[in-house]
Formats: sequence, structure tokens, C-alpha cells
Amino acid sequence: MEAKAQKIVKSSRMRNVASKLVSNKAALLGLAIIVIIILLCALAPLMTPYNPTKPDFSAQVQPPGGAHPFGTDKLGRDILARVLYGGRVSILIGLSGAVGGMLLGVIIGSLCGYFRGWLDAVFVKVAELVSIFPQILLVLVLVTILQQSMYNLIMIFIATGWVATFRMVRGRFFSLREESFVEACRVFGLGDLSIAFRHILPNCLGPVIVQLTLNTAGFILQEAALSFIGLGVPSGTPTWGNIMNAAKEIVSINQYPWVWLAPGLAIALFVLGVNFFGDGLRDALDPKQI
Amino acid sequence: MLKYFVKRLIMMIPMIVFISFLVFVALDLTPGDPLTAQFSPESISGLTHEQLDALREEAGLNDSLVVRYLRWFGGVLKGDFGYSIQTGTPIGSIIANLLPATIYLALAALVLSVLMGLLFGILSAIKHNTIIDYLSSLFGVIGISMPEFFIGILAILIFAIQLKWFPAQGRTEIGATFWVNLKYILLPALSLGLALTAALTRYTRNSMLDVMNKNYVKTARAKGLSEWKVFYRHVFRNALMPISVLICLRLPMLIGGSVVIEQVFGYAGIGSRLLTAINSNDYQLVLSIIFLLSIVSLLSSVLIDLITGLLDPRVRYN
Repeated sequence: MEAKAQKIVKSSRMRNVASKLVSNKAALLGLAIIVIIILLCALAPLMTPYNPTKPDFSAQVQPPGGAHPFGTDKLGRDILARVLYGGRVSILIGLSGAVGGMLLGVIIGSLCGYFRGWLDAVFVKVAELVSIFPQILLVLVLVTILQQSMYNLIMIFIATGWVATFRMVRGRFFSLREESFVEACRVFGLGDLSIAFRHILPNCLGPVIVQLTLNTAGFILQEAALSFIGLGVPSGTPTWGNIMNAAKEIVSINQYPWVWLAPGLAIALFVLGVNFFGDGLRDALDPKQI
Repeated sequence: MLKYFVKRLIMMIPMIVFISFLVFVALDLTPGDPLTAQFSPESISGLTHEQLDALREEAGLNDSLVVRYLRWFGGVLKGDFGYSIQTGTPIGSIIANLLPATIYLALAALVLSVLMGLLFGILSAIKHNTIIDYLSSLFGVIGISMPEFFIGILAILIFAIQLKWFPAQGRTEIGATFWVNLKYILLPALSLGLALTAALTRYTRNSMLDVMNKNYVKTARAKGLSEWKVFYRHVFRNALMPISVLICLRLPMLIGGSVVIEQVFGYAGIGSRLLTAINSNDYQLVLSIIFLLSIVSLLSSVLIDLITGLLDPRVRYN
């Protein structure tokens, strides 16, 4: 009976959020951009006949048009193919870094917010340390010690990306654990973990999802910056940042801008979509706005 | 206020010690002979194996990690970072030459983006729901979506190569006139500060709108205060609090971002030196620079905190 009532309340709230999202044009536009870019990248083999990594010395630095709609780079590789296949890797890194960081932040934040004590004190200090340390420097330290690879990059993003979620969840737990429904749970004899993760946590998830969009956007930008300076994903794998690596020389900035313009615009467009969607989501989840 | 200041500075010490220990452990994990990092190349070039071993023992390289750490940290406090493996020059002098240029760049970016971000945000809030508001909100969301280095490259193409208004690469030396300085620093500083400018625009707008709906602002208006006084005394000062927190959170990104922007603009600073050091496996130099940059970002966030304290009596008296 109780469970049923809860379900009804929850579903009507979900519907409320969904209807607010649908009426927000910027959020819908953002979602459309995200979906279209992901589809284009996922279906890359259908979109272009070219191989993104195989050099073709008969077609070096061709401007856009004809057989190569986005042109080719110095090694004759098709830019469209590189942007589409590169998008797969860039989006994968951004998303998995953000999702991993979110999970870590939610788990640590819930435990610290619920149990407090020394555990909380320790993680608050760790979080402070992580947030004052410029993330790019941390990546550079790890790149010098470990090998450069896509998985290491994701790991580093997870290791640094949990802090904001952690702070948010912990803060919400601090106020929620004093609520009467938590006391009721305790009276019913529910275990601590069950109370924390089944009953309190669902009340914190709105802002967590918004943070997920922010982190996804941020990690895609960071991967691009790191790969651009040659310290992200190894250069054999195309990513949006790796393709732009060509723009390190003034010659290519000036003479064949199509090589770096396409991936740059792809990053900007995708991140813009994520941010539009995230903004809309935040407005829809805000209880102050009806 | 002085007490607060001193307390913040003292709180920094354990952080610095901890970071330096992490850096030292990382240094220890990297491959390479620590001997070459502690002595200048001339002094050890002619030595035999036995002599090198003796030197190693004498230099205490066989001691435990903690003992070696303490010795290293003692040297760092005196400005002695050892020698670059690649070039053989003392790291201290490399840093003394290049760090000021990077701080100058980051500071220019910070000042420009705070000024512009506050201006756009305030305009947006005062002219709420007008075309000005929409334009600056659009700028806000586009600005946080663009990679900084992409903006930098576009700026080079448009303003340096096509229009020839600014130099495409390089930086000025000390003693250049103000206008020359401005010419060289403007494009890199604007590109580096773009994300912060955009974030500040968004944040200032929301923070101002939030405060403008508060009851004490209505009271101030009802009292008959002039619109300017209401704005300056009641709205702006209160809206500034969350804004300074945002600046504080974003500072490390500004310092980290300088590594990338220096590369784009061929700006000879500590960030571009860091990249060459990484590519030539000059671990000692890499970690010394990383250590210093993290200290710089720690110090600057404490400074922003202090400025916030000066503005907000609640922080001051707690």
C-alpha cells in the first residue's frame, strides 16, 4: 500500500519534470544535437566509406568538396571519417569518466553524509585537495608515471570528477537525515545502508544528474585539450582533440583550416548540446519554479 | 581580520607538505638515475662506477624515502630544486625565468574575465528578459562550450593572420612599453579567460536576479533609496559572495589552462617548458614545475578567500 502510494507520487513528479523539459525549447534542441551527433558517430561506417587512420598519399590536404566533403589532412586521411570515428572515442571518454565519477561521488557522499565522523572528515580533506590541484597537472603527473592511454585517461577523470557530486550528495544527506521519514525507517528497523541508499539517496538524484551533464561537457573539453597538446589519447587513435593536434603549426592554421575547423566545431556543438540540455534539466528539476 | 589571514596561511602549511610529499613519491616512481638530477653534469661526467656508487652513498640516495624526502623538501625551501636532466641547468633558475611570465598571463586572463564577466552578468540582470539579456546568456552558454585552445586558434587565424592586428606568437620581455605588452598579451589572455568569463556571466546574472527578488531589496527601495544606492549597497555586494566562490573554484583551471594556451600562442612560460620537459622525460623538472604550479594555485585561492573576507563581514567575524 505504502509502496504503491510512493510510486504514484514519484511518477507524477517524473511526469512533471518531463513535461517541463519538453516545453523548454533550448533543452530539446540540446537533446536533439546530442542524439544526432551520437547517431552519426555510431553509424560512422554507413556515413563514410573511408578509413579514419589509413593514409592516402594520392589525396593529401585536399580542401572540402567532391569525394571528401570535409577535405583531407596532411596524410590524405578523410576529415569527415576522422571526426565521426574520433567522436566515438571522445564521447565515450567524456561519458564514462562522468558516469564513473558520479557513481564514486554518490557512494562516498552518501556514506559520509549518513555516517559522518572520521570518514567524513577524511574525505572532506581529500576533496579539498583534489579541487585545489589543477586537474590538468594531475593528468600530467600520471602521464609521466603511467603510460598514455584511453583507459588511464578515463581513470584519471573518475579520480578527479567525483568531488562536486560528493559535496552535493553529502550536503543533501546532512539535512535529509534529520527528516522524520528517516526516523520512521529506523523505527521500522531498517538497516543503515538500506536507509541511506534506498530511502535518502533517491531524494538527491536531481542535482546529481545535472552535475553528470556538466562533467560530461567538461571531460570532453579536457580530453580535447590534453590530446591537442599530445598528452591525451595516443595519437594513433583519432579523437576530436587528436585531430586538432594539426593546428599546432601556424602553417596549418593559415593554409588548411578545414583540418582543425571541423573537429573544433564538432566539440563545440556537442558540448553546447550537453549544456543546453543540462540547463533545461536543472530548471525542470528546480522545485522553486512551477 | 589579521587573525583570519594568519589562520588561513597556517592552514596552508599541511597542504603544501602533503602535496610536496606526493610529488616526491611520484618523482621516486619515475625511471631514471636520481644522481643526474642532483649533481651538475660536469661534476659527474668523468667518474667510474665505484666512484658513482660512493657518491650515491654519500649523497644519501640509499636512505629511506622519508629521510630523502625531508632532505629534498629542505632544499626546495631554499630554492634548490636540483638540476634538469636534459639541459643540466639548475631548475631553480629555469623556474625563476619562466614562472613570472605564466603568472602574468594568468593574472591578465583573471582580470579581463572578472571585469567582462561581471559587466555582462550585471547588464543581463538589470535588463532582464531584453535582447541584451538573451545575447549575453547566449554568449555565456557558447563560451563554456568552446575549447579554449580552439578559440585561441581561431583568434590567431582571424586577428593575427588575416587582420594583422596582433602578433600570432610569442611574448614580450620585461621593459616593453604598455601598448606592446597589450598587443602580445590580449589574444592569449582573452582565450585563456573565455571559459571563466562565460561562467562568470552566467553566475553573476543568476546571483543578481536572486538577490534582486529578496525582501531587503524591496525594503531598501521602499525607504526611498536611489536606484544606484540600492544596486550598489544591497544588490551588488550580496551578489558578489557566490561569485567570488566561483572564481576561487575556477582558479586552478586558469593555471592549468595556461599550459595549453601557451602552446597555442608559442608563449614562453612555465607551461610550455613543462610540455617540453615531459616530452624529453625530464622528470625532475616536470615534477618541480607541477609542485610550484599547484602551490601557486593554492596561494591564489587563499588570496581570493581573503578578498572575499574583506568584502563580507560574516566571514570576517567567524
